[in-house]
Amino acid sequence: MAAFVTFWGTRGSIPTPGNSTRVYGGNTPCVEARFDDAVFICDAGSGIREFGNDLLSRESRPEELHLLITHTHWDHIQGFPFFAPAYQPDTRIRVYGSEPGDERRHQLLSGQMSSAYFPVGFGELKAEFIDDHFVDYTRTVEGVKLTCFPLNHPGGCCGYSLEKDGVKIVYLTDNEIEWLDGEVLPDPAGETQPRTIPDELVRVSQNADLLIADAQYTDEEYATKQGWGHASCLTVTDLAIRARAKKLALFHHDPSTHDAGVDERVRQCAQRAAQFESDVFVFGARERVTLKF
Amino acid sequence: MEEFSSTATIGASSVVPRKDRASRPHYLEQTEGEDGIRLYKLSDKKTVIGRAEDAAIRLTSPKASRQHAILRRVAGEFVLQDNDSRNGVHLNGLKVHRAVLRDGDIIQVADGEFVYREG
Repeated sequence: MAAFVTFWGTRGSIPTPGNSTRVYGGNTPCVEARFDDAVFICDAGSGIREFGNDLLSRESRPEELHLLITHTHWDHIQGFPFFAPAYQPDTRIRVYGSEPGDERRHQLLSGQMSSAYFPVGFGELKAEFIDDHFVDYTRTVEGVKLTCFPLNHPGGCCGYSLEKDGVKIVYLTDNEIEWLDGEVLPDPAGETQPRTIPDELVRVSQNADLLIADAQYTDEEYATKQGWGHASCLTVTDLAIRARAKKLALFHHDPSTHDAGVDERVRQCAQRAAQFESDVFVFGARERVTLKF
Repeated sequence: MEEFSSTATIGASSVVPRKDRASRPHYLEQTEGEDGIRLYKLSDKKTVIGRAEDAAIRLTSPKASRQHAILRRVAGEFVLQDNDSRNGVHLNGLKVHRAVLRDGDIIQVADGEFVYREG
């Protein structure tokens, strides 16, 4: 079994093209996780456009695609109308809700294609769309065990883990680890131990080969943006340390963070991992980079 | 007020195509390895890095596979791909299968280390 992860969009909030974001990329979230021939699409931000074009250029492509949307904030669905495979009659796209009867994602994907927002209606798409769902937060699709779990973000959000043959990928974006019920979690250990992380997050991320996690802010930025639904990169690093993840991809880069700023976060987070004698490899998620597992 | 001549001409009558990044030469600068420090100008042709005698960028290290990594130009950008090598390809320290390169990237193939330079 071979698994591949490709980053097609790594930016949070709004597409941010330009010279200062040329390395890590300016497209909003879209990650392809492929286990042999089974293709899972994590979010449909503006990065999905390039992914769709790439998919159509491949010698062989799957008839069925599995779409896992974390939540329907604009930056996670805005690329969908430009996803070329959706216009192909030989494509089938399964859109997963978090539980039976949950068709919210499908409704909002199609709703953004109403004529007030977009010239082509959802009904004109040629692909077959199937509403699917998790049962008790889990599901096995083409031999891949999927798990969804709630994240801490205004309006609600789901994280996903994907596992097959010992390879575990965790996609955990738009998640404010530090914030619970309107309060910042206490950090009694200060800088001498990793921070307090909810047990459930550690459990779902445990031993991940790759943890892709929202790391939008520095500690200084987070102090002024509490309750906005995003985490500090150092807190995310502590999650990776506690969960014994092998690789941590800092993800959902802030639109105001230039490439040099992402480099600096990576440096700080790697230093923190070293401080706590963790082997986790920390890097900045970067568009059009593929990892193999 | 200064008067301007109505007969003055400004440039050509049509847009002059700009010389964009893709049209300028790009390089791999080998900074470490048994094979010494070298500068390779990249072309539009497929570039093989490896131990094979016909590799465009030849490595002598036994850690290198014969056709270890391949560089291709796709839509004006250079794409690095691990060619199922034994020891992998690292981009800025991260083991990658495939990546679009950016100026200043550090590529490690066996004992060889290269810096990618955009023109």
